[in-house]
Amino acid sequence: MFLKIVKNDFLRNKIVTTTVFVFITLAVILAGSAINNIANLIQGMSDLQKSAVPADITVMHAGEYEQAEIDQFTEKYSDHIETQETMILQNIDGSNIHFGQSQTMAGTIQDISFVVQNKKFDFILDLYNEKLNVKEGFVAVPIYFMQQHDLKIGETITVKSGGYEKEFVISDHARDFEMNSSLTSSKRFVINQNDYDEMIEMNAAELEYLIEFKLFENGDSAAVQSAYIEAGLPANGPMIEGKIFTMFNAMSDMAVAIVIIFISILLIVIASLCIRLTFLATIDEDIREIGVMKAIGISKTDIKKVYLNKYRFISVAAGIIGYLLSFAAVNLLNGNMRLYISSDLSGSLKYVLSLIAPLLVYFLVVMYCQQVLKRIDKISAVEALRSDIMKHGKIRKYSFPLLKNKFFSTNIYIGLSDVWKRFKLYRLLFVIFIVCTFIVILPLNIYNTMNSPEFSTYMGIGKHDMRIDLRRTDSITEDFNRLQNELQNDSDIEKYAAYITSSYQVKNAEGSWDFINIEIGDFSVFPLKYLEGKAPEGKGEISLSFANASKDGLNKKVGDEVTVMVGGEEQTLSVTGIYQDITNGGKTAKAHTSLGVNEEAVLWYIVSMDLVQGVDKHMKMEYYQNAYDSAQVNDIKEYTVQTLGNIIDQMSTIVIGGIAIALIIAVLITALFLRMLLSKDMSQIAIMRSVGLTSKHIKQQYMAGTMMVLILGIIVGVLASNFLGEFLVSMAMSSMGAAKIELVNVAWQTWLLCPLALIIVVGYTISVCCKVTVDDDLSVVLRS
Amino acid sequence: MSKILEARSMNKKVKLGKDNELHILKDINLEVEKGEFVSVMGPSGSGKSTLLYNISGMDRITSGSVKFKEREISSLKEEELAKIRLESMGFIFQDINLLKNLSLIDNVMFPSLVSKEADKSAVYQKAKELLKMTGIEKLAHNNITQGSGGQLQRVGICRALINNPDIIFGDEPTGALDSKSTEEIMAILAEINKKGTTIMLVTHDVKVAAKTERILFMVDGNLVAQKKMQKYDAQLDDIKEREESIMKWLVENGF
Ligand SMILES: Nc1ncnc2c1ncn2[C@@H]1O[C@H](COP(=O)(O)OP(=O)(O)O)[C@@H](O)[C@H]1O
Ligand SMILES: [Mg+2]
Repeated sequence: MFLKIVKNDFLRNKIVTTTVFVFITLAVILAGSAINNIANLIQGMSDLQKSAVPADITVMHAGEYEQAEIDQFTEKYSDHIETQETMILQNIDGSNIHFGQSQTMAGTIQDISFVVQNKKFDFILDLYNEKLNVKEGFVAVPIYFMQQHDLKIGETITVKSGGYEKEFVISDHARDFEMNSSLTSSKRFVINQNDYDEMIEMNAAELEYLIEFKLFENGDSAAVQSAYIEAGLPANGPMIEGKIFTMFNAMSDMAVAIVIIFISILLIVIASLCIRLTFLATIDEDIREIGVMKAIGISKTDIKKVYLNKYRFISVAAGIIGYLLSFAAVNLLNGNMRLYISSDLSGSLKYVLSLIAPLLVYFLVVMYCQQVLKRIDKISAVEALRSDIMKHGKIRKYSFPLLKNKFFSTNIYIGLSDVWKRFKLYRLLFVIFIVCTFIVILPLNIYNTMNSPEFSTYMGIGKHDMRIDLRRTDSITEDFNRLQNELQNDSDIEKYAAYITSSYQVKNAEGSWDFINIEIGDFSVFPLKYLEGKAPEGKGEISLSFANASKDGLNKKVGDEVTVMVGGEEQTLSVTGIYQDITNGGKTAKAHTSLGVNEEAVLWYIVSMDLVQGVDKHMKMEYYQNAYDSAQVNDIKEYTVQTLGNIIDQMSTIVIGGIAIALIIAVLITALFLRMLLSKDMSQIAIMRSVGLTSKHIKQQYMAGTMMVLILGIIVGVLASNFLGEFLVSMAMSSMGAAKIELVNVAWQTWLLCPLALIIVVGYTISVCCKVTVDDDLSVVLRS
Repeated sequence: MSKILEARSMNKKVKLGKDNELHILKDINLEVEKGEFVSVMGPSGSGKSTLLYNISGMDRITSGSVKFKEREISSLKEEELAKIRLESMGFIFQDINLLKNLSLIDNVMFPSLVSKEADKSAVYQKAKELLKMTGIEKLAHNNITQGSGGQLQRVGICRALINNPDIIFGDEPTGALDSKSTEEIMAILAEINKKGTTIMLVTHDVKVAAKTERILFMVDGNLVAQKKMQKYDAQLDDIKEREESIMKWLVENGF
């Protein structure tokens, strides 16, 4: 009898059993490869760190510089500092780097510099994690640019700057632990010492100093940082801690891994629902046999084992196959990682870690089955053996009498009310439709948000048409003044505002000094949406980015006071507001112009502007780009795209993947569900046919019910992705500096296109699957 | 009198395996007159139910012809057959076969509400009348779990009658009922028949057959004998006498 049940169960549910198997396998593959990816990431990062030996503290500085002072400082703090080295960057503007057929790297938001390899630490590596050793006439180009401009090894780039002009052959990718990520706004090109010296001789570039410290293992980074500032050592650029680089490096791969794990959890949920569906659909038919078994004294536990073993077997088989396949699947995911982090992903950690996936899936499935099988306990031997199905079930109040129906045809009404009456059954489909809508809409909303001008809110800037960034050059102040003059007289410009960001010292939560970048200007011209409070409007006011105001930063609330060192004097500013910003590591601040520029530590100038309506933005951008060589002219969207780098690309892959997965799941489960439902309802359908309903009438009933579930599911799904989704995204983004993301939803996409696509595809599936067969003799089902 | 049903050389075979066929109905020739009350008897497995379902067009015959009201129905499409079932036929079963999710009165009204033009309040009146006639109007709004076998079978009869059919087919409608309920149901059917509705019942209960006017006797897929009697009248006829004569006739024919 045991065997008979399992055999029957399998034969009856061939398709479902196969589907459950496929879903579990897929879930294991996805979870396995995501964990595999994380394992690779951990190992890859640690290998990369070993080879690159990144600095623990990096201070950027442009302008006057005395190495002897630094040496003294290093000597003094030799308890903490293991070694120090200063890298001299030769900054070249993107527009001066030519490649391909008259293309340049103008317009990049990255600062480009040419360097030689360090002697002691912070090495720049090739794709095999070997220290780059570039020969004369060659250059190693950062991976970011190799990808962005689709450059190949063997191609050339030409640097033209003033009287200097030289062609370099690309010999390598430069894998740069500190500056790999698009979120780090500088990129280092590595050249040979001789070429480097020649460049310096020819005065081809602006010099910038990277003062780097390598600490002992137990060295106190915070102590060294404040000591450095207190000593008044050169530091007019940002001071960056080593762990920020690690985070930036890992972030995009981590994000992808998390999304995939999320999808695989969904698949497990769906597989569980399939199991439940199978069980619900067949338990009525098995009730007699279970009853007989109980009657002849077989224990409940033994009966459950029969069913459970089937799913145990499926999970074990799916687990093994999925585990093995995950090693193939992972190669689809780790392209980015192989390029940026480690080409050699042969570590053994992944074999152990990704075992978690099949084990976890196995336990989840078995636990879920046990839950479902509890129903067997409720079947008493007597009840099961009684033939009249009519007698079981509690007496419920009768709802939806036919007479109450005013709007629909009777068949449609019956179909709709069936959903209510047997909601337990339809609930499953309802959940599936919600989930599917969710995995289409949420990524789409995220993608739209990233691509919308509103995204500037999360980058700490108000909405505007166009911006011009001026970076440190000798002529920066002149350029800045000339630009402002020109804008004033340009009738195509509706309004503009200039912002100067410089570095200041600020008293941190512990009372010692830190550096903070403060942008000054008139923030009422391009208003920014504040998380709390408002923009600084007058003297003595400052606003902080979310990350700066948080506990890890200065730990301030609106109304608190902040002490800043300006021109050698302490000034106390009150915090007027907190805004979101994911740029510059999330830590920025804004103050009114009256605070004054910190002349020695100006970082950059930005001019934001709106154009008069009807002016061609691209023409304007080109004009200013040509007029100001060293400037970067961007529209706000381009600026977003470059800041977010490949995250937008990855997001669009996820959108497409999400749509595909959602449609496949929705179609598969709908088809399965209807098959189940129709076979479960076989006798009811036969009864309806016996009183004279055609198969078309019956189809109408089932279509009406499932279509209603579909539409309700879509509505709830859209709402869930808008509200719950917003919450989830904000949670994930708060570590980056954006704590309250409002997803942009493009109404025609979220409320029309996606629902319509789902309705058409699933609706078609429903109409195909709601077919009632009329070939067999009708009486077969009706007779006792 | 005109014929309502007419079967000529009706055969039914079902495939059991690859080259294994079961010949259930063998060359049946049969006529049923309008207004007749016919019963089919025979040993279990002789093909009584099969005869009923094939002659009513619920199942497809393998060869031969079946006419319902002079119209050949063996070759009709599913939709046309459904229309005939809806408008002109009623079925009652041993298992009753009510829809689980509808109340008793909704089960009765349902076949009448399928067509779009249905006048709801008229249908409701009709259903209430039928329930009253069968004595269960109090249960109208109950679920089907709240009724005894006899009560539910009355609902089945009401449903069969809702569209004023020409004929009612019954496959052992009293098979699962106690003798008191059986008698009540038969009284209702006799009443319906008196008003002109043709009835064809399968039964193995002589007491049931005794209240019909013609008995068909089947053995092993063949129609082997028929017994024609007067329409039963409770006032005039002695039911015991009728039963005994049927018993005798059955034994003569080898039952
Ligand atoms: N669809 C079918 N498939 C196989 N055998 C059938 C089918 N329908 C009826 N039979 C067989 O045909 C014979 C006659 O059945 P049935 O008409 O139900 O007999 P009765 O109603 O007289 O007891 C039985 O032996 C039954 O097993
Ligand atoms: Mg029978």
